[in-house]
Amino acid sequence: MDQIAAFATPLLTAAGLLLFLAGIGLLRLSWLGKRPRNLPFLIGGWLVIGAGFWAFFRAYDVEVGTAYALIAAAVIAYAVIVIGLEVRQPKVQRVREVALEPEERPSNLWRATAKALLSIVLAGIAAIGVGVAFAVAMPLETHDRIVVGGLLVPILWGGGMAWTLSDAKLLRATLLLLCISALGYGIAFLPKVFV
Amino acid sequence: MQDRIEIAPAPARKRQFLSPHFVRNMLAGHSALGLAFAALIYIVCLTGTVSVFMFELQRWEQPDVPPVAQALSADAVGAVVRAGHAQALADKAAHDLFIMGPNPAAGLQRVFVNYHDHESGAEGSWLADANGQLVTRTHVPWTEFVTELHMSLHLPRTWGLFLVGLTGVALLSSLISGLLSHPRLFKDAFYLRWGGSRRLQDADLHNRLGVWGLPFHFVVTLSGALLGLSTLIVGVLALAAYDGDSGKAFSSILGPMPGADETAAPVPDVGAMVRQVQAAKPGATFTSVNIGHIGEAGQVVHLGMRTEGHLALANTYYFKGDGTPLGDGGLETGGIGQQILGVLQPLHFGWFGGYAVKIAYAVLGLALTIVTYTGVTIWLSRRRDKGRPAPRWERIWVGLGWGQPVALAVSAIVSLYLSEAAILYSYLAVSFVALLIAFLLPAAEVGSRLLRLACAAALTGLIIAHGVTWVARAADPMAWFVSAALAAVAIALVISALPRGAFATSAVAERS
Repeated sequence: MDQIAAFATPLLTAAGLLLFLAGIGLLRLSWLGKRPRNLPFLIGGWLVIGAGFWAFFRAYDVEVGTAYALIAAAVIAYAVIVIGLEVRQPKVQRVREVALEPEERPSNLWRATAKALLSIVLAGIAAIGVGVAFAVAMPLETHDRIVVGGLLVPILWGGGMAWTLSDAKLLRATLLLLCISALGYGIAFLPKVFV
Repeated sequence: MQDRIEIAPAPARKRQFLSPHFVRNMLAGHSALGLAFAALIYIVCLTGTVSVFMFELQRWEQPDVPPVAQALSADAVGAVVRAGHAQALADKAAHDLFIMGPNPAAGLQRVFVNYHDHESGAEGSWLADANGQLVTRTHVPWTEFVTELHMSLHLPRTWGLFLVGLTGVALLSSLISGLLSHPRLFKDAFYLRWGGSRRLQDADLHNRLGVWGLPFHFVVTLSGALLGLSTLIVGVLALAAYDGDSGKAFSSILGPMPGADETAAPVPDVGAMVRQVQAAKPGATFTSVNIGHIGEAGQVVHLGMRTEGHLALANTYYFKGDGTPLGDGGLETGGIGQQILGVLQPLHFGWFGGYAVKIAYAVLGLALTIVTYTGVTIWLSRRRDKGRPAPRWERIWVGLGWGQPVALAVSAIVSLYLSEAAILYSYLAVSFVALLIAFLLPAAEVGSRLLRLACAAALTGLIIAHGVTWVARAADPMAWFVSAALAAVAIALVISALPRGAFATSAVAERS
């Protein structure tokens, strides 16, 4: 029994890797086929991938197993994609317009500057305001509210950047970000003002 | 009378989850942001990929010290603290002492001793052996150069960290907008069409590497952005809740800070503290110790001890100088905030699963670098397809993209012979020359091949120069492993620089 226990982690790791390979392989088969005949491959693929995660959880516990499993799944997916590489003849050819094109927009210096200010400065101010408000006001343990509040900042800032750059209406984005900033800094600083 | 034309109704289009208008808007934002930050993101990703092997590069750069594979014993920890303090006194830099020991999870097999006095600016850095005796001063200027380039771009520290943090936010934003502007996420999940249209090839590569590596890219980018922006965030938090005292705000997260009492006091018995933690947590091993204001009454010890089964590098245990426990950071088993704090660094640098995880991190980090590079080439190809080519920008981007590995390789050669300051200047000079060469050449493709060959040549020169320097003195096998890996990279670069079909042509010639 002890010998089996000693080999449990490497065996479960190997099983997890094979399950990921099989699961992603099944997803690829599903991708090659047509609905509804490919459905068993699609469902089976995700189930097998789920089993791969389970094997990693058993081998390393959920905390470490999740990190290992996500990395292993990504690298195996890259390998499956490279194996399925479709080599084409080098020639100049028109790309079929299957992919959508970015919206063509009028651009000038004023608009570009305004967009940059909105996405970098105002979105950043708003994100930091919300993060600090969370860190100050949430009824959680000190570490929890400060660290989670801190993590919110880059996520909200990144989300705000993506939104302001894609939204053609500058005024709408400006007003909303100003409101969010006022709310965030209000929650963060008002208790200090009234003490 | 005109005939009435009957128009058959168009087949109803399947309603898409993301409307074409939304996707076009997202693509426009994704494109603008990517182009604005492309160069910075590319440099940060490339140097980050190299920095995954920071500890291995340090060993390659200074291989005359044997590796220390096992965690230090309590006695050895006590000895290295005393030796480090004595040397710090000799160097008039005895204020803060930091020691980091072997950690298999991080692939670290050395004992580092660092001390500095932030008032005088005096500092020192040594390597110690398994018994805690100082062996030699560290001299790893190129590894320090690359990691500093990754963390702060060699700008003044605060501004550099902020700019890299902002670059991380821009990358995070690009990941979000990239995902939202990809309605064919599942439909194209396994496409990799190579060799036909350049735009299609780059788009496939960009999307496949980006989508399948997304969890890794998201975690690394988020942790990097948070590390870069932490000073700014904590600064605002301090204004809101800690009377503007950033030190107090940091202390509430990172544990007790040293007091102001400068009365002389004995150096803490860190060995006893290690034994104390091991009595409560059998199996815990020493990873690091940080002693603030060492030898003063206000001194505080932060002792890093690792137990297996956690992502965190270690949990931090706090002690007064006289050995009185002050609690711990809960980085391994504390609250959610404490555990997140504990995993930020290992998740960002890949310091949690030894070499297997490091190699996977290198693959995924390189993937993110390629995603950044192809993001720009897709935009350039799109312009070309639409009859609005930008040949100058095509050449400039090739010069920047392929010039960076050349500049890094040449700066590594320079680090073997010249002063530390020369590393940065050589890196900047080669980056500029690579840009200039690519710009002056007739086509981007020519510049790309030439710079790849130049990088292979520089790597070959580096391997030879390093071998000549260390062949008689190397005591660490890592020197040869890293050189072998560099040789593999050089060979891969030469192969990639050969004209397409070169192998096929030679194979046909052989058969005939």
